[in-house]
Amino acid sequence: MGRYRLHVNGRQRVVDVPGDTPLLWALRDELGLTGTKYGCGVGACGACVSLVDGAAERPCVRTVEESERTRITTIEGLSPRGDHAVQRAWVELDVAQCGYCQPGQIMSAVALLAEHPDPDDAQIEEALRDNVCRCGTYPRIRAAVRRAAELARGER
Amino acid sequence: MITRRAFLGTAGVLVVSVSVPGTSGATSAAGALAPTVFVRVDRRGRVVATVPKPDAGQGVRTMAAVLVAEELAVEVADVALEQAPGDTATYGSQAVANSSSSRQLAEPLRTAAATARCLLVAAAAARWGVPPEECVARAGRVEHPRRKALPYRVLVSEAAALDPATVPVTLTPPERWRLIGRTRAGRADARDIVTGRARYGIDAPPSGSLVAVVARPPWLGALVSSAADAAALAVPGVVAVVRLDPPAAGQGGVAVIASSTAAALRGRDALRVGWTGGTPAADSREWLAGLESALPAAPAADVRRVYRLPLLAHAPMEPMNATAHVTATGAEVWAPTQDPGRVRTQVARQLGLPESAVRVTATLAGGAFGRRIETDPVLEAVACARAAGRPVTVRWTRDDDTRHDSYRPMSVHRLSATLDADGLPVGRSHQVATWPLTVNPAFDNPAIVRLSGNHFPYAVPGDVSVTLRPAPLRTGFWRAVYAGQFGYAEECFLGEVARRGGHDQVDVRRRLLPEDSRLRRVLDVAAERAGRAGSSSRGVACHLDYGSAIAVIADADPGTRRVVRVHAAVDVGVAVHPSGVVAQVEGGVLDALSTVLGAQITVRDGAVVQSSFRDYPWARIGDCPDIDVRLVPSTAPIGGLGELAYPPAAAAIASALAEGGDPVTGMPYGAPVG
Ligand code: FES
Ligand code: FES
Repeated sequence: MGRYRLHVNGRQRVVDVPGDTPLLWALRDELGLTGTKYGCGVGACGACVSLVDGAAERPCVRTVEESERTRITTIEGLSPRGDHAVQRAWVELDVAQCGYCQPGQIMSAVALLAEHPDPDDAQIEEALRDNVCRCGTYPRIRAAVRRAAELARGER
Repeated sequence: MITRRAFLGTAGVLVVSVSVPGTSGATSAAGALAPTVFVRVDRRGRVVATVPKPDAGQGVRTMAAVLVAEELAVEVADVALEQAPGDTATYGSQAVANSSSSRQLAEPLRTAAATARCLLVAAAAARWGVPPEECVARAGRVEHPRRKALPYRVLVSEAAALDPATVPVTLTPPERWRLIGRTRAGRADARDIVTGRARYGIDAPPSGSLVAVVARPPWLGALVSSAADAAALAVPGVVAVVRLDPPAAGQGGVAVIASSTAAALRGRDALRVGWTGGTPAADSREWLAGLESALPAAPAADVRRVYRLPLLAHAPMEPMNATAHVTATGAEVWAPTQDPGRVRTQVARQLGLPESAVRVTATLAGGAFGRRIETDPVLEAVACARAAGRPVTVRWTRDDDTRHDSYRPMSVHRLSATLDADGLPVGRSHQVATWPLTVNPAFDNPAIVRLSGNHFPYAVPGDVSVTLRPAPLRTGFWRAVYAGQFGYAEECFLGEVARRGGHDQVDVRRRLLPEDSRLRRVLDVAAERAGRAGSSSRGVACHLDYGSAIAVIADADPGTRRVVRVHAAVDVGVAVHPSGVVAQVEGGVLDALSTVLGAQITVRDGAVVQSSFRDYPWARIGDCPDIDVRLVPSTAPIGGLGELAYPPAAAAIASALAEGGDPVTGMPYGAPVG
């Protein structure tokens, strides 16, 4: 066991777990941040995608130890009221079916838009390639990423 | 007979409960109680609807909010939703099955909300001493041309004191609908979903719950012979190792119970389990060959084709899980389930308790597709919680979920047709060899399987025969059930017959469908939307089921062999929440694409080979075609929806790929099956 300091959603948190504990389970079980979803545990589905130093990462295949000294943002850290451009676009275009994959989709989209404020289809497909949606919301995800880009630019 | 009751609940709440027996579109749910819905208006004027069936993404909560808002003259966002606990005595059938959510619940929900509205209007009219016909409900108030409007909250007690039998209830007529079929409101719970607050089963355990992970049979049917648990118990955080015996405690295995998921997983790694029995040599290629040899002799025919279909897993995005707390006198369960009533019954039986001692909370479910009708994860959680004396949540890994499913059965279909001089089919035969659904004994009957699968809508006389062989592994309900197999084979075959005869795919189907039929109308709409095929390879398919009709046209790029466009036209009767209807069709198209392009389950050396979305490759965003869904206006009663699009979409997509390529011989397209 060890004490690891994690910087999550703007706050310093301490978790008391073995260093090889996947960040995902530290977030969910130790810190109660259940918005980050478990879908596969092997980096194959994208349900857990969160931001690590601004980039889309998979907490299920990162350890707590290697996550020290990074800045982690989970879905809860985006906007609790849901007024981040990506969240607004997701609600406006009624993207979610079961909704379970959507925190991961949203965090991947946030990272994409930070890098490419006006992404084309190829960039969207590349950034979201490994975010599986078992319900088939892809057409709306595609549209919502574009809509989020507009909203972020302040267009109506 | 509609049963309506209105009464003043605790704290001065107007409560209306409605049950409408006989509205069940669910033919196979014979004997199931009609669902009962509850609509309340409280002293603050808040409208609350209790939704008897859980939401697994099919949108039942949203539909409930739209219907209640319509009839109570408020906005969709003004309706608070409560999820009913598992309790069939109070709520009737709570099963999310057979695409029945809308068909079973729409009428009771509308009637309940309309009853509440009429009672509120009657109460206002009585206060004012005016005829109720002069009053209208609008925006949460009752209005009269010459009086000051009264908000619902001040009318609740008086409304609840009225005898509903004396108050005529009128449903809002379609020409006055503001919301039904028109609303642009999104999914209920959308804000919770995008902020991470939505609670699925995996998020439900009360704090302090232990976590269990189960070592499961390494080959089919294996039973535990020994378990060396010392190393597992030595892992920090592991508190117990519990043997789970099937079928009472689920599918069987050894559970490692720990203070956290990570510790439980480490404990499972350290566990040494011996296994015995089962079928360690089983191979799905041999199963397929066995089915093929079970087909009866082929009839004389002009054209013939055999289709081989694989095992499919459900793979809902949220892996199986359940949470239980068992005490000396009762149990509490939290589960992402398609049938909370069934969960309660089974847990009561497992523990030897009366149902009244079992409380079941149905959480949101991260997809279901038929898998969550089964209760094996709940039985595991209860067994673990009983042993631990504390709340325990059982978590399945993705690997567990993929390898220990209730799979869609394999099937082999031999299609034969006799043709007229123009090459059009005038006689047909469809011979099916498949397995029953082991999770439901009713399906161990060729007639029931045929009923589920056979929806051939075209005017071609012929027969369908079903041969059942014993299932070599656990099989269950998969979106569209047998129609997904039968419809796929039928439409792929019709596509091939049309192609050979040089006929246009739409044209052939139009000729074989009755004029003025719903199916022909949706086909015409889809064909108009799709326009001319041009250089695209095109596949077409229709499907009629659950009281709804759909036509799908898929276009593939002949160069890249990519499916680029899918047009669907649907007649689902009244589409209560249009965006949700379109979403279900989009979902069916993506399932179709995934299974036609390559997702299949295979078995080697007794074990399922696949373990995650890496080797059970569900479609990704880059595979997704443009999908155009048209809702064809209809006056038909509300039809089912969740399972409608999969069969024709799969056939249309495979047929598009076959146009100018190899003929369809099974699923996935162009890949070895099994
Ligand atoms: S849970 Fe992390 S990628 Fe699937
Ligand atoms: S919305 Fe259900 S998995 Fe994406």
